[in-house]
Amino acid sequence: MPRWLRHTLLTVVPVIAAAALLPLGYSNQLLLFNFVVFLTLAQGVNVIYGFTGYLPFGYVGFFGAGAYGFSLCVLHLHMAPLAALGVGAAAAILLGLLLTPLLRLSGAYFAIANLAASLAVYQVVSNPNLENITKGPYGISLSGVFNPTLAYSVAVLILAATLGLAVYLRNSRFGLSLQAIREDAISASMAGIDVVRSRTLAWLLSALVAGLSGGVFAWYVSVFYPETVFSPEFSIFAIVFALFGGVATVTGPILGVIILYGIYNAIGISTPQYFQLLYGLLIMGLVLFLPNGLVSLFKRWGIDVP
Amino acid sequence: MSPEPQDKAAPQALLRVVRLEKRFGGFSALDGVSFHVQPGEILGLVGPNGSGKTTCINVITGLHKPDGGALLYQGRAIGGMASHRLVHLGINRTFQVPKPFLTLTVRENVEVAAAYGRRGSEAFDMQALLASLELDRDADRPAAELNSVQQKMLDLARALATKPKLLCVDELAAGLNPAELDRVAERLRELARAGMALLVVEHLMGFIDHVTDRVIVLNAGKEIFEGELAAAIEDRQVVEVFLGSEHGA
Amino acid sequence: MLEYSLLAGLVFGLYFCLVGLGLNLVFGVMRIVNLAHGDFLMLGAFGAFWLFNLSGLNPVWSVFIMLAVFTALGLPLYYLLVPRLQRAKDPEMLSIILFFGLSQVIEALATIVFGPSERSIPGRVFGSGPVSLLGQSLPAAWIASAIASGVAVLFIYLYLYRTRLGYLTRAVMVHREEALATGIDVDRVSAIAFGIGIALAAIAGVFAPFMLGSVTPAMGPDINIQSFAVIVVGSLGNPLGTILGGIVYGISLAFMQSYFSSWANLLPYVLLIFILLVRPSGLLGRQVRSA
Repeated sequence: MPRWLRHTLLTVVPVIAAAALLPLGYSNQLLLFNFVVFLTLAQGVNVIYGFTGYLPFGYVGFFGAGAYGFSLCVLHLHMAPLAALGVGAAAAILLGLLLTPLLRLSGAYFAIANLAASLAVYQVVSNPNLENITKGPYGISLSGVFNPTLAYSVAVLILAATLGLAVYLRNSRFGLSLQAIREDAISASMAGIDVVRSRTLAWLLSALVAGLSGGVFAWYVSVFYPETVFSPEFSIFAIVFALFGGVATVTGPILGVIILYGIYNAIGISTPQYFQLLYGLLIMGLVLFLPNGLVSLFKRWGIDVP
Repeated sequence: MSPEPQDKAAPQALLRVVRLEKRFGGFSALDGVSFHVQPGEILGLVGPNGSGKTTCINVITGLHKPDGGALLYQGRAIGGMASHRLVHLGINRTFQVPKPFLTLTVRENVEVAAAYGRRGSEAFDMQALLASLELDRDADRPAAELNSVQQKMLDLARALATKPKLLCVDELAAGLNPAELDRVAERLRELARAGMALLVVEHLMGFIDHVTDRVIVLNAGKEIFEGELAAAIEDRQVVEVFLGSEHGA
Repeated sequence: MLEYSLLAGLVFGLYFCLVGLGLNLVFGVMRIVNLAHGDFLMLGAFGAFWLFNLSGLNPVWSVFIMLAVFTALGLPLYYLLVPRLQRAKDPEMLSIILFFGLSQVIEALATIVFGPSERSIPGRVFGSGPVSLLGQSLPAAWIASAIASGVAVLFIYLYLYRTRLGYLTRAVMVHREEALATGIDVDRVSAIAFGIGIALAAIAGVFAPFMLGSVTPAMGPDINIQSFAVIVVGSLGNPLGTILGGIVYGISLAFMQSYFSSWANLLPYVLLIFILLVRPSGLLGRQVRSA
């Protein structure tokens, strides 16, 4: 069996089956939806951080761009949700293109600049002067297209495509070339890789994933404020989940979301400060003792983790 | 005025470096260097520290843009072209301090270069390449686990996987033991016999003497001698540069 | 209005210089990004608030207490976290995540201990009524904050350029590996710099109730971004560049608030990105681009 097929059977198939079947027997669909969103975002972070080596501290900017791209088309142009989702994705890609110069920055500089960029987009979108266009700080209400069942199904499809992308990167020459760039950009260019083109492509793919997620999130919740869809928690959660499980694998981010977001839902909603404490300590322990995430334990035991 | 460098260059030169200049701030790292390399030839590039040897390779392989002069490869101007395009044209190099893709396996390191660095679809024998550089037994280990000599060999394998016509070798010999030196020298001569042009930067004169057909001596960003190493060590100016000015005027 | 903006900008600029200084010192010496910087500032602010409320202690005296407490806290914290981090493959990038974790821990503990509500110290502790300066009248607390910032910067300058330990600190900043090779106790020098760095944040925190509005456990991340804007404009890794960065930032902010108040919140982000892209080394400084 080819490796990519084995990886698909071990990761994509069970995750998608669970996401598709659980709503039949479990009534808290919002919780499942949030899991689907974070599974998708964690893989989006995996593309640009895990494979390519850029830490997207402002990843939520794409999510918010997708949410607003979707919502504004529904509000002002009365587009059908699926078409509006396409515009949301396009908005995220456009933002990604606008931010490509940031990829010239290295390490911490990129992370900080990306964070600043996402906050700048939030400030613009939520500015009261733009109330006529974005509804400013007063938020969006899309009651006309509210259809959580359909939105959930679309979110699962987006997750399936994203997991497929992760399997592709894990098993393809393109994925290998991104990892080469992450390890050493100069050696990568001497291996014949067009570094600028490849990293831009990874960046835009990663933006696309978050833009689609943001769009479907806006559709699902239908009522939200700018601080909801630009909350830095989306970036941070997605990064920490991916890192906790182990990046540059398909399994790692999935494990990270299931474990950490599971804990969050168990204790984080009733007593957020205790979750924050636990989560902060987990992050610190992870960086100091297991910087390559949980899956590195399996690798240490000689198991090929998808 | 020096004579036109084109006059000196053989007509079949693969690479012609014509009065190449590179400045960093106020410092002229290359101050009008000219030389040429032919297919099948091993050209040594020697000179004291800071004379511009590595800078010269960096400009030829697209890491730095030249500030003046010309680089003609197969008659075509390539100065300032992006590294990966030069790789596709058949120019590659090794690094003084090798920078392999540390988390990738040895095989993956070479595979990515073979996949992205080669044009055309002729067969590529990974196993033979790894075996020829004695990396075959470690093919599935991450590059981070190799020792520094093995990392140098991997760097060479990465370059060779792209099927270069011109290979720049930057201080490959440093840190190798005599047996390894002999094997590497033999390997480089084999590549030259197969038609590859090699530009070898090296401090170890024994190694230079062993592998090169001809040397260029650089000093302060200019070439001061061109010819066989045996003749170079007889040259007054070269001796002056290497031993200090009290021997000269 | 123009004169007022300039003067207020200068006063705030001096304060922002103090806000960014510790972050820049830590980055300069250790090449790590202390993303918990804003949270140490928050702790300093709560410290001053409680000292004032419980014993009526004037914030000026709190400064010395914060200096002692946080320098002492910084040393063990350094040894607990940083040497282990430095052994990792990419300490600079991982430091962002590690210190983000620390910032979450601090914020959570502060919420548990202090509660989530907003706190403030009345500005009258620095005397009643505004102070007249160059024909403009400014709150006395602003002037006090600016003076304290100026004094702190002066002390850092004297430390770095007039003491032996400061000399070693600069050696580590310029070249960590060579400093190690020449037998400098890099960990000791760094630990002290780390202690001073977070103490500077806490001292800035003492004045936060007057300069940044009310204080909450969640204020850290916002402070971080402003600090980054300040030190990136000045020059990352060059503590004295922070002075220039602080003043440029303070004056720009004052002008934005006077003339484009509804877009003033955008300033730190836009300034940060603009400087990183156009002049990534800051107005004074070194190269950071990779390609």
